Amino acid sequence: MRLAAFWPRTIAVMLLAASTPVIGAAASVAVSSHTVGAAAVTVPRCTNAGLSVLQNLSAGTVVSVTVAGLPAACGGSTLQATVNNGTTSGSGSAVVPVGGGSVTVTLGIAPAVATADETDIVVVGP
Amino acid sequence: MRRLRPGAAAVLVGLLLGLSVANSFAASLTLTSQTFTPYRTCTLTATPATTTQVTDTTVRQGSATLNFGTLTALTVSSAASANQRVYLSFNLAACAPVIPSSAVVRLATLRLYMTAVPPAVCRTIDLFKATASWTETGVTWNSQPFGTAINNPVTGSRSASFAVGTQAGCQNTAAGYTSGATVTVDIASFVAGGSTNFGWMLRDDVEGSATTRTATFSAKELGSVAQEPQLVVTYVTVP
Repeated sequence: MRLAAFWPRTIAVMLLAASTPVIGAAASVAVSSHTVGAAAVTVPRCTNAGLSVLQNLSAGTVVSVTVAGLPAACGGSTLQATVNNGTTSGSGSAVVPVGGGSVTVTLGIAPAVATADETDIVVVGP
Repeated sequence: MRRLRPGAAAVLVGLLLGLSVANSFAASLTLTSQTFTPYRTCTLTATPATTTQVTDTTVRQGSATLNFGTLTALTVSSAASANQRVYLSFNLAACAPVIPSSAVVRLATLRLYMTAVPPAVCRTIDLFKATASWTETGVTWNSQPFGTAINNPVTGSRSASFAVGTQAGCQNTAAGYTSGATVTVDIASFVAGGSTNFGWMLRDDVEGSATTRTATFSAKELGSVAQEPQLVVTYVTVP
């Protein structure tokens, strides 16, 4: 076989090799191991404290929610609150002050006060 | 130039491929994830006034055989032979979704709207977990679960307490919602099935005062949404 005849095949191989690192960059592979195992990772919360969640009322509806007891570790995070009275749901979000403390979330829709209201609180970040 | 034999070409291809695979093992992926903290709160409010999910009443030593379940006020009073106590309960099953028995209760607060503040003093109001059933329209001083002896049960067995009075420095000095009583332990026990939810009895920490000391709170029957008794339970389902 002449080298000139082999040249197109070499070019193809080089192109394949050059493209491989792109595939590798998209993979999650440990550098030091040739095996991939399963693992459970606990994502830390900014607080496990008992948050005080109080509804602020106006004309028989829940217009906002004040969440207190937030530690400094939650400072700068976004607190999302959703109040659901079984028929109507209202949501909003607010940034937790640096240093923690309390934050008041104004709801986009104000659900009527019911015997039982559910309030879901999610603190995202920081 | 020398010719490359077909076998050698295959080896070269294999080496190049092998090298590229090795490069992929050396690659890394950066995974970023925001932490989040989910909490769920069930707020039970004594509304409407006809709801049966919340029951409240006052029992009076001075009218020991009468029931006051339809009154619009709840009264805790310390007085000579005229003490008054409040019985109050919330049906946790009304929460939707129901709080699972495996939930971890982070905070539970009982809130009452005070309409009359004891003047010039600071009185401690104790909460005791009721250990037997009672009904809003049936219970009287004589039939109450804790019996008729004053200052019973003893202060040391209380679940929680809060202070009221106009005296400077008192926990709750003005009309409005009190700062509330923390009943987390009781609610956790109710949720987990460790004890039955019969609600609470509230009494003055020292009954039988020579000078009458009275605190008054809005009852369910008042029908004012902004003043109703409330129980706020915050919990997580994944600790």
